[in-house]
Amino acid sequence: MECKSKYKVPGGKLIEIRLVHENGTVVSLKIIGDFFLLPEEKLGLIEKSVEGMKINADEIDIASKIAEVASDGKIEMIGIDPASIAKAVKMAVGA
Amino acid sequence: MRWRVVGLETHDAYFNMAIDEVLLERVSEKLSPPTIRFYRWSPSAVSIGRFQSMEEEVNVEKCREIGVDYVRRITGGGAVYHDNRGEITYSLVAPESEFPKGIRESYRDICSFIISGLGSLGIKAEFMPINDIIAEGKKISGNAQTRRNGVLLQHGTILYSLDIKRMFSLLNVSKEKISDKMIKNVEDRVTSVSAFGNFSLNDLYGALLEGFTEGREYDFGMWNREELEAAEKLRIEIYGTRKWNFNR
Repeated sequence: MECKSKYKVPGGKLIEIRLVHENGTVVSLKIIGDFFLLPEEKLGLIEKSVEGMKINADEIDIASKIAEVASDGKIEMIGIDPASIAKAVKMAVGA
Repeated sequence: MRWRVVGLETHDAYFNMAIDEVLLERVSEKLSPPTIRFYRWSPSAVSIGRFQSMEEEVNVEKCREIGVDYVRRITGGGAVYHDNRGEITYSLVAPESEFPKGIRESYRDICSFIISGLGSLGIKAEFMPINDIIAEGKKISGNAQTRRNGVLLQHGTILYSLDIKRMFSLLNVSKEKISDKMIKNVEDRVTSVSAFGNFSLNDLYGALLEGFTEGREYDFGMWNREELEAAEKLRIEIYGTRKWNFNR
């Protein structure tokens, strides 16, 4: 099932989520928006980190997973953060 | 450090984005000097941020109809309409070590050059984090930065005159984007140098040149053959392709 959300981070940038889930599991995630993320090539690592998670996972667990991948990959985000991406993901799946 | 300044010139969208990436690569390899360039776009063009969706942000059909190019930037940030006569764009490429370590702080630092330039025209502008400059509460300049191999690229636009009707016929502005600014009308969000007096585009260029070079050692220069060849390659292989421009 495909779902979408848009979330404007207060004082930050816009996050748009395009997510596909099957049997309660995220199978693909695309994060779109006017944010900054460096190095740019590593956005895919953030997207992949959420794939395989359950759509009913806690927002905080999704945020932790993203934060872990960002830290490991030395990824810097400006205008968004792991918590706001997690919030947008949960908005997309209707939670 | 001695800068090269490439004075105001006009290119199409694909070259403009290609030469910026070439500089990013070549400055890190010490093949090109730290460079500040000023440019316009012909034909007029829309550039979108690295992570935006072309189809969502841009009225592609309208662009095609009136001959406006559209290109994805190497940098993040939002969609910008670069009117041929309505703005000046700059790029600055230099070792990161020349600027504050933090990206937010370096935005403030580099934007201060623009604010200083606008100040010389009598326009009081201020930095609006994350990456904007405002005058009388409205956006007059947007900026975007990336870094690669110890080198910083910041480019941005300074609005000279506004054709709001045209701008918003080409850009699709979402209500979410403006929701937390409590502004209902997108037309109330932007201004331009022309709103502040009877300035020519050349007046703005002179002011920006002064703002960017004040206190710096520099020479005026042009692109060399290697830079142009590398840019042409990127123009054909990346920036002019549907694969890059519609990749999200």
